[in-house]
Formats: sequence, C-alpha cells, structure tokens
Amino acid sequence: MPQGEAAVRNPEKGYVALLGWSINAVEALDRFDRRYIVVAPEWAEEYCIEHDIPYVPWNFERLNDRSMEIAETLKQKGVDVAIPLFEETVEWAGAINSVLLDNPRLYGQAMLLRDKALMKRRAQLGGIRVGIFEEAHDRDDVIRFLKRVNQTLLKLDGDPNDPIHLKAFDKAGCLGHRVIRTPDEVDSIPEEEFPFLMESHLDGWEFAVEAWIHNGKIKFLNISEYVTLGYSVFVPATPELERYRPQITAQIEKLIKTFEIDFGFVHPEYFVTSDGEMYFGEVAYRPPGFKVFELLERAYGFNAYQGLVLAFDPKTTEEEIDAFFPREVVDASGVAGCFGVYPRRRVVRELQIPQETEDDDYYESHDLSSPLEETVTKRTAFGTHWGLVYFFGDDAYRMRDLLKKQEELDFYV
Amino acid sequence: MKPTVDASGEATTLDKRVTSLDDAVQAMAETRDFGKHTKLRRVLEALRRVLMQPGGAAAVQARAQSLEEAGLFQGTDWASPEILIPSLVGPSLHSGDVDTVVMEATSELRMLAVARGDFAHPTLPAEDARQFLSQVLAANMELMFTPPSEAERTQQGRAAQLVRDMFRHLAEEIGYDSILDNLVDEIWRILRQRPVQVESVQSLITRIAVYRDDPDVDLGVSSGHGIDRLITSLFGTTEACREDPGIDVFRSRLEAMDTGGLQSEATGFARAMHDTGLVSPYHAELLRYLLRESDYLIGEALGLSDTGRNCLMRYSQLVHRLIDVAVHPQTAQCIYGLALLLDRGILYEPPIVPALWRQLGLELSPVAQERLTAVFGDVPNPQARLVAGVLSVLGQPLGVGQGDNPTCQSARALSMWSYNDPDYLLQVVVWAARDNEILMHFEGQPISSKDSEAGVASTLPTDLDPVSLLVVPHLDRIYAEMGRRCAGRPGDPHRWVNPEFHGWWAARGFHINVDVETGNLVDLDEFLRQFHASYHPSYNGEQPVIHPQPAGVAVTDSAARYVGWHAITILRVAPDPQDVMRVYFYNPNNDSGQDWGDGVVVSTAGNGERFGEASLPFDQFASRLYIFHTDPLEGGEPERVPAGDIARIIGYIERSWGDDRLPAGKLQALRRPTSL
Repeated sequence: MPQGEAAVRNPEKGYVALLGWSINAVEALDRFDRRYIVVAPEWAEEYCIEHDIPYVPWNFERLNDRSMEIAETLKQKGVDVAIPLFEETVEWAGAINSVLLDNPRLYGQAMLLRDKALMKRRAQLGGIRVGIFEEAHDRDDVIRFLKRVNQTLLKLDGDPNDPIHLKAFDKAGCLGHRVIRTPDEVDSIPEEEFPFLMESHLDGWEFAVEAWIHNGKIKFLNISEYVTLGYSVFVPATPELERYRPQITAQIEKLIKTFEIDFGFVHPEYFVTSDGEMYFGEVAYRPPGFKVFELLERAYGFNAYQGLVLAFDPKTTEEEIDAFFPREVVDASGVAGCFGVYPRRRVVRELQIPQETEDDDYYESHDLSSPLEETVTKRTAFGTHWGLVYFFGDDAYRMRDLLKKQEELDFYV
Repeated sequence: MKPTVDASGEATTLDKRVTSLDDAVQAMAETRDFGKHTKLRRVLEALRRVLMQPGGAAAVQARAQSLEEAGLFQGTDWASPEILIPSLVGPSLHSGDVDTVVMEATSELRMLAVARGDFAHPTLPAEDARQFLSQVLAANMELMFTPPSEAERTQQGRAAQLVRDMFRHLAEEIGYDSILDNLVDEIWRILRQRPVQVESVQSLITRIAVYRDDPDVDLGVSSGHGIDRLITSLFGTTEACREDPGIDVFRSRLEAMDTGGLQSEATGFARAMHDTGLVSPYHAELLRYLLRESDYLIGEALGLSDTGRNCLMRYSQLVHRLIDVAVHPQTAQCIYGLALLLDRGILYEPPIVPALWRQLGLELSPVAQERLTAVFGDVPNPQARLVAGVLSVLGQPLGVGQGDNPTCQSARALSMWSYNDPDYLLQVVVWAARDNEILMHFEGQPISSKDSEAGVASTLPTDLDPVSLLVVPHLDRIYAEMGRRCAGRPGDPHRWVNPEFHGWWAARGFHINVDVETGNLVDLDEFLRQFHASYHPSYNGEQPVIHPQPAGVAVTDSAARYVGWHAITILRVAPDPQDVMRVYFYNPNNDSGQDWGDGVVVSTAGNGERFGEASLPFDQFASRLYIFHTDPLEGGEPERVPAGDIARIIGYIERSWGDDRLPAGKLQALRRPTSL
C-alpha cells in the first residue's frame, strides 16, 4: 500500500510558503505535488527537523524593519507565493507576496482585510450592504453608539434594547467578541480591549462562505451554515439556505471586485434577513476556524488545503483547478458538521461524551481533552471552546437539529 | 429522521459505522508518519463504535491488515506483535482509559486474523498468534461468562461490555479446546456460589457442547474434565432424555414408564440439580408429569431433605399449585429454588403460606407485565414468570445478583429480606408488581417510589431475575431519596438510611472509619477494636451473629488500589475447617470470588462457605471494612484485642485503599524506617 512516503513534487508547478504552523495543513501539503516550505516560530523547528519537514524559522510579531528579510529569504529559495494560515499572518502574506509577485498593491489589500473598520468602509464604498458601525475609543463611545442605534430603531424608553456587538479590529472569529445590551454592561469591558469596532445587531440568519479564487473567478464556493454562532457549523448547508446560492455568489463576486482579489481564498460572513437581503459582516483572507476545511474534506473528499495551494499558486492552470474541485452540493457524499464544546458546569472533573451523542448514527469523533483544572473560568466574551465534536450523516436538517441538541448536553461532568 | 429500530436496524448501524471506520482508516493511511496522530482520534472513535455493535469484532478482524498498515499501532507498544506478552493483555483490557481498551481489543483481533491465516504478518507466524490468543483466553476467562464487576463498571462503563463481546468472538474463532480445562473449572467455581441467574453459564455450556459435538474438533482425552457433568445437567440428564430427544419424545417416554422408572428419573434429575445448581428443561417436564403421580415422587424429583419433605406433605396443595403455575421448561431453573425453599422450612412461618397463595393469584400491573415480557418473552406468561422468580429468590437468598447495575444496596436488601424476613419480601413484591409503587417510611415520613426522582441507576436494568427486575427500580429510588433526606447532616448517611431501609434488625449503633469531609481515615484503632468486640466470638462473649447486618467495604482491585465503596451483608463469623476465624458475607456482585490485592483473595468455596457465601479471614475482612452496624447496648471487650492484631490489620489498610487517606504525619512516621 502506498503510504508513509512523501509525494513526488512537480518542479514545473509553484513553490509555496505556508505562513504559520498547522499540522493539518502541513500534512495535506506533504501528500500534494507542490514544493512547500513552512514558515513558523522557532518552537516548530525540532518537530520539522525530526520529521523532515522543510522549514524556515520566523517570528510573526508586528511588521517591522526586518519584514523584508523573510521576503528576501523566500525569494532566494525560489518560493513563488506565501499562503497565510492564520489571521495574524495575513498582513505578512501581503507584504511577502508584494515582493514575490512584484505587486505592491497586495500589501495594501492585506491591510484592508486585516482591519475590520477599514474593511467595512471599503465594502460600503463598493456598494455592499453593511450594518451601522463605528470605532470605540472609550466607554462613552460605546454608550453613545448603543443609544443612537436604538434611537434609530425607534425604541421607546423602557423597550428592551437591541444589542450591539463589539469586536477587536484584527482578531479572528469570535475572539474578543462581546455583546452589549445595556449601558450597565459597558463597565464590564476591560480597559485593555479598547479601541475596537462596534456594530449594530443584524437580525438575520448568519452564515459563512468559503470561496477559492483563481484569476478573479470563483472556483469553488461553499456555504457553511451556523446552527448557533460560536457553537456549531456544518457543510453543505440545508436546502433552505442553499436556495440563496445565486444571490450569495453574486455577493462574493461583488466582494472580489471591491477588494480587487485576483487569487487565493476568502472567508466572509453574511447575514441574510427574512426578506432575502444580504448584509456583509466581515471577510478574512485565510482558512476559517472551526475546522471547516476538515469538514469539507469529509463531505466532498477533496483536501481544502491543497485547494488553497492551487488557488494561490500562480502556476496553476485553469484546467488543473477546475479538475480539482467537485461540484458544489451535488458531489457531497454527506453532511459534515462539528460542535464546539464549552463546559456548562462551574466545576468539572472529567470528560464524558454523553451517551446519546456517542450512540447517534451521525457521531464520528472528537478532539476534546480531559480537563486540567477543576474550576471552569467564567465566560464573559465569546470564549474559546474546549474542543470539537464531529458528526457526519445524510441529512442536513437532521444535522442541524442534532448540533442544536448538543448545546443542552454536558460533555464535562 | 430518527434512526428507526427495525429488524435490519442492527445491520445498518454496523454498516454505517464500518463505512465510517473505513473512511477514517483510509485518511490515516494516506498520511505520512508525522501527521498520523492527527487522524488517530477518528480511527479510535470509529473502532470503538464498531466494536460496540453486534458483529463488530468480526468487522475489525477483517480489517486488521489495513489497520496495521495504516499505522494504527505505529509508535505504540503494539507495533511489534511478536514481542507482546499475553499476561499484559488483561490489565489493558481492564484499563479505565477507553483508548487503551480499544487498542488492546484491536490488537487481539489482529492476532486472530494472523492466527486464522487471513493476514500474513511480516513478523508474526500464525502459530505464534494462535498460541498467544490461547494464553490470553485462558487467563481472562471470566470475561466470557460473568457480567462486569463493580470495579469494571466504575472504571470502564460501557467499554466493559465491548471487551466481553470481543472476547466471546475470540473464543468462538480460536476454539475452546485450548482453554477447556480452565474454563470448566471456572464454570464450577461460579456454580458453587449458586447464583439465581445462570443464563450466561448455561449459554457457555451450550456453546461448549455444540463445539464438542463438532466432528472437526478433536478435544483430546484429558480435555475438559468435569464438562460432562455440566452438559448432562442441562441436556441428557437421565436415561429418558439421554440423547436430548426433545420435550415431546421425553413426555411420551414418561407416559410409558412404571413407578420404578419414574423413581429413577426423579432421583437422577435431583442428583444433577443439587450437584451443579443447574436444572434441565426436561426436569420441569418430569415434575409437571409427576403432579398426576405421587407426592413421594415429587419429593424425590426435588431431592428434598426431611424438612423439605415434611413441608411438601403438609402443604401439598400449595406446592402442586406452585409447580403447575411456575414450572415450565423455560423456567426450569426455579425448581432448584422450590426445593431449597421447602428445605429451609419457611413454609412453617405463619404468613408465608397465605402470602404465596396471594402471589399465585396476583394481578400484575400493566407496567410489570410489560417489563417481564420485554425481558423474558411471553412464554410462560408474566404471572408465572414472576412466581418462578419468587421461588428462586426465596430458595436462594444468597444467589441474588445485581447484574451489571450500580444497585448493590437494592440487591442486598432483597437478599437480606429473603434470608431473614421472607414474609416482608413477598409483601414488597406485591407492592411493586401489583401497584407499581413501594411505600417506605423514613423517620416517620412516607417515601413513595413513585414520587422519588432518579435513583442510583440512570437506566432501567434488564439483566436481572424477575423479582429484582420489578422491585429494584423502586428500591433504588427510595434508597436514593433516603440519602437525599440526609443531605446536610454531618457524617455518613448510611447511619440513618441502613436501619430504615433494611429493617429493625439492622443495628442502630454505627461505626465508620472514614471522615466524610476529607475522605481521610479516622479513629482506626477504635473502629477495629469495636468491630472485634461486636463480631469476633473471642471478644463478644462467643455470640454468633444473629441477624444479617449491612456493612460497607472499600473494594480494591487486584493491585490493592481503591475502586469504590460497596454494600455487603455480614452473615456469620466462625472458625473455618482449619480453625482460622473467618467472616462469611454476602456480596451482591455476581461473582464474589474477587482478588482484592495484597493477598486478600475472597474465597467462595473450600473454607467452610455455604452456597452463595463469600469469606475472608477476620483480619483481612476488617482491613477492607469501612462501615458496620452494631447494637450499642452490647459493648463486648474491645480493650482485650491485642495491639498486634490491630497493627496487622492497619498494615493491610495502609498497603491498599488507605494509602492516601492517612493523616500526613503518621504516614511519614511510618515511612521513615523503610526509606532508611
């Protein structure tokens, strides 16, 4: 059986650099035909040497004078393009690729994609619908914004407020994401979190998109359905959401045009309101969290990281990338979903997958670990989950109900 | 879209899980070594889920080669099967870490694939694999026919069943011949404890019998000494059913027999039954037939003592009715219960006879009918099934087992009532079966099993005898509710719960050597002296134990590590045939013969035990005891217990469950000399 050996690399194709350490990405590239190199902090060195993984050490702090150094190093090695794996490496990829591809505009584009306030303005300029947003520098800003949003909504004194959302400018996903409903809650925001972005709450159905782009065209577009934000996601989405695919595709095309994206991968979030209107939330130029790539592989059989390489590699041909991706929805062998577990009790002793979860036909696996401490830190913002539970099955609606059900179960007791 | 349960339900579930396993294995196979661990979790989960399904072991066996080649065992102790050691398999299979259990089980199935020649392994010859598995089977036989023990249940949960299913598959595939001698000894060891439930033993004997009759199998001359007696006690017990001809043929042969022939049939069955504790379905047919003959022959067929015969003659009508209602080929096992019930002479207790008549006419609640039918089928009807169960429990008070359920207290209570207060047991059965409610009082306050919420067990048990099946869920809820009513009281709730739950004879004096707050050991010296003064004939004025007393032990595993608290009953304290003072006790576990480590091995036969009793030398028993009851007005002579005896017992405690429960200062003081 052919296994355990590195794939044969094609010297005619591109040579890519992965920015950031992700074992799943490395593992996927290792069995792909492109030459690759991992750019990661020094702690990855020992592992890479031991396992014969091509590697250059680099610490991704804020861009500084030495930024050119890594770009030059990669250029000397003959690397064609850099691929960001994490939010923090997006601007690095922009900086490096502006050198490697001799296109200074790429750096500016990356900065746009890194700052949520800039990003929203750009989207607005491009004619994309966004909610109301503003930057906050202190607590008074937050109170003023909360009041103004609710005034706009014609709320009377005493009516429950619509919440507003606070998000760090440059963090991925739910990190640093808070919801504020009353002026009292404003006091609970720690000083060090300022400044940040404030947004009005969009009452709609939130979903995410993953789109692979080659020569300015969408090559594969996945719609990821959220069951509850921060808890669960599954692919492909229910027919109920997939019926918006034409409108969603139009939105992504608009996004590509607005942000002048020629190649690579975008991961935007949208809200669709009950009347079918799409609101843009934000967009990231890197793989999504919540292991959506792994879910896609389970559902469609293609490796999303390899797709990423094809979308970034300037030497990829149209035929090659078209042959790589399956047809959306119809080619999926099933629905893959995952659920992020947060302990529900204040004191936990051990990990115990609930029996009804374990016995469910759809259950497949999990990456939860046993608790190290007995007391669970209280969640204020949308925190980080303790791991994911994976499901796979035939029916998207049953998947949705199943993922919803998990929210009522204790995985840590 | 809920998965429907239908006839093909099992097959589809297994198919789905196998597909998922194949997918996971494929993903692992495609990954180079450094990334394999990222694919491991999914493979392990898929394996576990497949192994939990009927037919799962065979499915994994069929995939042994692809599992190994995908790299499942890579970087683990299982990577080189040729150096694995059979004696280490047991501990891995009993591990509390379910991943270890799954890996070990998969490794055994790989051995099996190699042994069967389905997987030509590069480093392991088929013959070595077979040899390995024979040794593994021989060393872990209990996995084939006893439900999980207390220790396994707390540590392993559902994995314990997975291991058993896998093991049975191994035995089927490898064959019983290599392990037959040990297996037969083990069956005899279990049967000597005279359990009420013998289904798993019966099915094992049946499988051995089928296996032995297979012309392709050569068992050798010496193989399986004693297996004949086991097989014939179920099939072909006597002349008239020698070749296992079926009930109808047997019946026609009986009809053609004279009294002499029937007498010989009767004594033949009786001898086999009392010898093994197993009853043949033909025996039931004979007994039914003898109803038309004479009470003398019924007495012969039951193998009664003088007392039993006396009871039979005095209450002939009742016994006839009991046989007519309860004894059928499907319930033959209750004949043994009936025989022992008569021999116990409890029919002479005034309430018992009318209570049994009430039992015979009892209308069961729909819930009770449904439960009984769901577990035992509808032949004979649920009423008859319950009467049969009552006969077994009344005849074999110490044969009651808790099954694979955390309900040792309820099983203990049933056993204790049957032993000490059978009238009350019959009353409780009526409440549970007819009213679907048991009402008890706790310190004057009524507790209904209907109002109380969850008990200790989270699901309804199904692996119990008919009486336990109906009664235990009620008792469990009441017991848990009594515990809840003690919430907030200082100390251990058993102090109040035990006497109220079991009966007036559970003494109100209460001793415990564990501080409930800290879990540390307290007042050890006084605790042990008082235990001697209450129970040891040398220090309590030669007073034998009068009533069975509830007690709590700290169960330890074979490495003497603490497993959990367990409810038992102290029955007797007496010198054994070697003049060693022993405590004889009842353990609601299904197999009392357990190794508690540090040389403390609970004996079930050969040391003066009566059927169903477990025993330990007095000091070893005391070393695992943490709760006992005693009459506070009967002080005994605690001060006379020699300090050396107490020190020896404390040594046992320190080397086992007391290891991390001793106050820090003392432990260090004790440890210092040894570390010098």
